[in-house]
Amino acid sequence: MAKNSAEIIEEYSDKEYEYGFVTDIEMDVVPKGLNEDTIHLISAKKNEPQWLLEWRLKAYQSFLKQPEPHWQNFELPKIDFQDISYYAAPRQKEKLKDMDEVDPELIATFEKLGIPLSEQKVLAGVAVDAVFDSVSVATTFQKTLKEHGIIFSSVSKAVQEYPELVQKYLGSVVPYSDNMFAALNGAVFSDGSFVYIPKGVRCPMELSTYFRINAGNTGQFERTLIIADEGSYVSYLEGCTAPKRDENQMHAAVVELIAHENAEIKYSTVQNWFPGNKDGTGGIYNFVTKRGICKGNNAKISWTQVETGSAITWKYPSVILQGDNSTGEFYSVAVTKNKQIADTGTKMIHMGKNTKSRIISKGISAGEGQNSYRGQVKVGTKAENARNFTQCDSLLIGDRCGAHTFPYIESKNRSATIEHEATTSKIGEDQIFYLNQRGIDTEKAVALIVNGYAKEVLNHLPMEFAVEAQKLLSITLEGSVG
Amino acid sequence: MITTTTLYDRFIDLYKENETSREEGWLKNLRDTAFEAFATEGFPHIKMEDWRFTNVTPFLKENYHLQPRRAASLHGRHNAAQIPSLDAYEVVLKNGMLNEDIAIPGVKISPLRTALQNSNFQHYLGKYIPIHKHPFAALNTAFFEHGIVIEVDKKAICDKPVHITHVYNAEEPVFVQPRILIIAHPGSKVEIVESLVVIGDKPLFINSVSECYIGENARADQYNLQIAPVNTHIVNFKQTIQQSNSLYNNHTYNLPEASLIRNNLHLDLNGVNTESHLYGLYLPGGTQLTDNHTVVNHLFPNCFSNELYKGVLRDSSRGVFSGRIYVHQDAQKTNAFQQNNNILFSDNATIDSKPQLEIFADDVKCSHGSTVGSLNKEALFYLRSRGIGEAAARNLLVRAFAFDVTDKIQIPAVKDYIEQVIIHKMEETHHEQ
Repeated sequence: MAKNSAEIIEEYSDKEYEYGFVTDIEMDVVPKGLNEDTIHLISAKKNEPQWLLEWRLKAYQSFLKQPEPHWQNFELPKIDFQDISYYAAPRQKEKLKDMDEVDPELIATFEKLGIPLSEQKVLAGVAVDAVFDSVSVATTFQKTLKEHGIIFSSVSKAVQEYPELVQKYLGSVVPYSDNMFAALNGAVFSDGSFVYIPKGVRCPMELSTYFRINAGNTGQFERTLIIADEGSYVSYLEGCTAPKRDENQMHAAVVELIAHENAEIKYSTVQNWFPGNKDGTGGIYNFVTKRGICKGNNAKISWTQVETGSAITWKYPSVILQGDNSTGEFYSVAVTKNKQIADTGTKMIHMGKNTKSRIISKGISAGEGQNSYRGQVKVGTKAENARNFTQCDSLLIGDRCGAHTFPYIESKNRSATIEHEATTSKIGEDQIFYLNQRGIDTEKAVALIVNGYAKEVLNHLPMEFAVEAQKLLSITLEGSVG
Repeated sequence: MITTTTLYDRFIDLYKENETSREEGWLKNLRDTAFEAFATEGFPHIKMEDWRFTNVTPFLKENYHLQPRRAASLHGRHNAAQIPSLDAYEVVLKNGMLNEDIAIPGVKISPLRTALQNSNFQHYLGKYIPIHKHPFAALNTAFFEHGIVIEVDKKAICDKPVHITHVYNAEEPVFVQPRILIIAHPGSKVEIVESLVVIGDKPLFINSVSECYIGENARADQYNLQIAPVNTHIVNFKQTIQQSNSLYNNHTYNLPEASLIRNNLHLDLNGVNTESHLYGLYLPGGTQLTDNHTVVNHLFPNCFSNELYKGVLRDSSRGVFSGRIYVHQDAQKTNAFQQNNNILFSDNATIDSKPQLEIFADDVKCSHGSTVGSLNKEALFYLRSRGIGEAAARNLLVRAFAFDVTDKIQIPAVKDYIEQVIIHKMEETHHEQ
């Protein structure tokens, strides 16, 4: 039965987060507050080498010096960095040998989220490094990966086992001095994923990890480091849902990608953290620094993201195109509703010859959501024949939302070709009418149009994610009428 | 006069010195507020978002005279500014000054000083300029002395364009701050062409502000031809307010050689059913820096705005474009378009383009596009294979590129003049392979 628009809009805007629940597990939490002692404590808990402790302390010094950024298109809520506990790990009594020994409640949580953790449930090709509040609890498919010489582990494990690799690449793309949140992450990062693909290896499966924030008041400071050596290929998936909380939680992660000659890295994200309720209270602050570098010739880095959650999403996955003929791609769908804010986009820094970049950004704003695309395309003097294509479209649903576009286009090379276009509009009444006429009710028509609108981006997600992303879009936007 | 104090300090001192001789009432309040704003902010620097790509500091080092003397020697020497065969009402401002009232049927043109004595422009002057965000506009508001007021009577149709020639005497370094106020009352129509003549080769800094009020059902066309010698530095702030059913066309041409041209064009659409067109062309050469910042504020429903800025960047020049379309929540049914195309003609030229959309209403159609590239190789090949030389072919393509903008000029004499300037400048240009 068709509902009238007012009802549908009301129903839609009242829709709250469906994945909010808290897992009751004993946590090992460091007392709140940030100072050098906290960093010493974290480092000691993780049994880290001296160089890493020193690096953390330098990052902390840099954090103290950096002012809060103020260029963003929203009010940065006051964050009390002393009111956050910087480390939380699920308490485990002894090492686990197989899946049966994993805390059943933990498994139940993952199953609620639809993560196929147990081996039977892991569909062919997905190895899950499940990060549950900072510490890896189970890792699958390690054997297959080992056969190929691929390292896929938590950063803390990698620090112990491959210190020279970590030391060489950690902070090489996102130095701690990059911005305030990167510095904070550098100082207190708890854990994250580490991937190394050796020369000429094509990773036989999609690597995936699920981040989850569970302990109340624990900001999560993940650090992901992916290195693709010459001629290798890897596709990495990251997906997240977080339990419902009333206090804001901050997430300041850092992701670094390094692609050597002829290597390719594909990084996909589906982000569905708690966005806060319809009055805008609660919700996650998602302040993430993601950057990749195409170090060698013919390297390729591709970012794909579907952002539907978080109270504030603030991130710009970027690519530094250093090698000749290297390629950077960015595909994004960002949905904001209720009082959500998204300020996201990308940076493409062209340095090598014949470098190419492509940016497709689709923003959808509903309710009182604010959606900003902010991007930079920079062509250096030596980037002969650099090529960029940018398209950022915004869809507005409801008259209280906003869509904004702030591209920076800077070219210092005559042979470069840069194109940027952006459009903003609402779902056309004629489009809905057309579908109505063919017996499709308004609710489904909107879902159809939105899915079609986002298709260009969703197509770039790996199979497993594409399904989840489409479901997410439908859940978030079904029944919304412009 | 040799002094080590900065220009900022000199302005601060100057304002205090003149404390007693200043006007009373609302104008004094306006100036005091503006001065406060300038004193707090100081001159803009590259850490400010709006000035990221334009560093004015080097242009402020000169030891300028802050109050230009009346230049008697200017008489009869401004012919260079004449646009051939332009049939217009001529108005000549010498160092920003107009000597006497000029009466044109339906239009009253008076020196700013006398106009301010005779009538009250409290509801116009400085009313809409966001001085707290624009230090140069604040500086002008605090210090302006000369300029003109153009008032077009209700329902008056000005039959010929009004051509304002700004003549400046740069035989010594000068910092001038002219002010223009245009009021087109409801139902009127006026075309205004502004051009520049600089005598002398000493540094000249022009910090001008002009305000244009367009009443209901009125139409105003503004042409701003910025062509000046290399030692000229221009910072211009233009604020236009449109009432319901009005039409506004702005044509801005940044031409060689002035080393700095920075334009701020702010348009507030203060009524329903308005239409506005902003056209711009920049053709910097040498080490010239041209910077155009435009803001179109859609405040009411059913308004249409269209913006087209094109640039050809030659030699070691730099171009900056920043265009912002801001659609407020009430401005439903807005149609707003913006386009910026650039050709990098040389290896050393740089362009920074920043088109922006900020949209708070849902029933709108808004878009922007921006491109940077070089001349199309196929097009060049096509022309060359038909026996046209390399340089001639390039010039032809540049003219064709500029045509989208020049074609919009409604006054034939101005159009011919601009096209001649483009041809002339392109012929002078060094062609890199």
